[in-house]
Amino acid sequence: MSESRQIFTLKQVASSIRKTLEERYQQTYWVKAEMHKLNLYPSGHCFPELLQKEDGKIVAQMNASIWKQNYQRINKNFVDVVKEPLREDTTLLLLVKIVFHETFGLSLQIVDIDPNYALGELQRERQETLLRLQKENLLNLNQKLDFPLLPKRIALISADTSKGLSDFRKVIETNQWGYQFFTFLFQAYLQGDVAVKSIQEQLKRIEKVKEHFDVVVIVRGGGGEVGLSCYNNFELCKAIASFPLPVLTGIGHSTNLTVAEMIAYRNAITPTELGDFLIQSFHEFAVPVKDASKTIRNYSKNKLENANQSLTSTVKLFKNVTAQRIDQTKNLLVRSSSSVKSNVKFVIHKEKESISVSQKSIKKNAKDLFLLQKNQITSLVDTARKNIQFELKAENGEVQRIIDRLPKVVENLIHDTNNKIKQLEQSVKLMDPIQVLKRGYSISLFEGKTLKEDTKLKPGDRLVTKTHFSEIESEIVDIKNK
Amino acid sequence: MAEEINYTEAFQELQTIVADIEEGEISVDELSIKVKRAAELIKVCKNKLTSTEEDVNQILKDLED
Repeated sequence: MSESRQIFTLKQVASSIRKTLEERYQQTYWVKAEMHKLNLYPSGHCFPELLQKEDGKIVAQMNASIWKQNYQRINKNFVDVVKEPLREDTTLLLLVKIVFHETFGLSLQIVDIDPNYALGELQRERQETLLRLQKENLLNLNQKLDFPLLPKRIALISADTSKGLSDFRKVIETNQWGYQFFTFLFQAYLQGDVAVKSIQEQLKRIEKVKEHFDVVVIVRGGGGEVGLSCYNNFELCKAIASFPLPVLTGIGHSTNLTVAEMIAYRNAITPTELGDFLIQSFHEFAVPVKDASKTIRNYSKNKLENANQSLTSTVKLFKNVTAQRIDQTKNLLVRSSSSVKSNVKFVIHKEKESISVSQKSIKKNAKDLFLLQKNQITSLVDTARKNIQFELKAENGEVQRIIDRLPKVVENLIHDTNNKIKQLEQSVKLMDPIQVLKRGYSISLFEGKTLKEDTKLKPGDRLVTKTHFSEIESEIVDIKNK
Repeated sequence: MAEEINYTEAFQELQTIVADIEEGEISVDELSIKVKRAAELIKVCKNKLTSTEEDVNQILKDLED
């Protein structure tokens, strides 16, 4: 049994397979496959794993290789066209050669990759995302939000090394109007497949503190125009579209808008432009405020001026009316006064005339009265004179009779008077002290004076006693009062 | 101003005052009150443009909750 069997070495088998395969597969073939892993080695060679899935199940799997030189060329071409680096887990159209190596076994040697197919795939993904968003009514959701009057508080999704971030900050932080923004950075990867998850996670965090923010801004830039197909990812786009705050994007994509940019509240081509947009929003707030201040100032000034003018004209009118009224009254007064004057004159004239008439009448009456009185007086005087003459005649008779009797009366009077005088002479003679002394009486004198009740006498005083024939000096021995 | 007024309300109230004033619906008596109010509102609005009061620490604390 052993003689009949033919034994091959492993190398012979391998070589045989290689020969067979080389004969059978002499050309290169376009193969559509999903590149599950790229496996780029430090040597520069890649050993990707290729798959085909049906209903999520792997139905074919093969190893592949890309030599360093091929990889460099393929990748450059790919990025140039697709604006994406070669990505794992994407379906690619590969130009392959089926190779078998004695030691490495069977593999597909990739000599080229069609970038246009990849591009088409991306477009398809983009289209699918758009359709799905539309179907789920998410397309305009973010754009329907009310934009804050002042987008002041900004949740920034970016990378702190991003040039886009610094461009954006420069615009909003150094504006010449002194507008103040508040920014809080939520660090995220901004390109490539990792960006999808990274941005989604940060959106979730922002939603947690959304009360602190007015808008979300995603800015990117300076990293080259590759790796942006992540912004076509349905899940990321859904997260943006349904975010409760307006999401603004400035991710710097000049050619083909990504879905994220399309559904964002607003998209700017560059972070700088996005910054300018926010500044513009501030202007739209600031300008009416400034205008308000101007309008109010002008209006108030006008209003006050008008009020002032109307007051002035009212005062003027009042003055005029008053002056007019005073004039009218004055005229009236002047007229009245002249009429009073003429009336007074007339009255005075009349009175004068009446006085003059009265005067004349008085004069005449007086004259008459005077004449009457004169006559009366004259007659009275005549009567009086006659009476007096009569009286005088009567009196004269009486006087004559008295005169006739007078000498007899006088003679009797003289006789009576002489008798009385003779009696008086007799009395006086009897009263003379000498006559008294002759009849035996004496007079005592003290210090030349007769004694009276108040003459003070004491025993020893010397008294002079006059008699009709002597003067006796004696001394008082005793005094007996009666 | 005693009450804390939201800048959106301040802005709207200011616009209303301006409209009223432009339409001449304010008497001289009311004018000084309105002008005073407008000045306050303008101040609130201007302050909003040039200041921030957001507290980073509070945000960080809220993020951790």
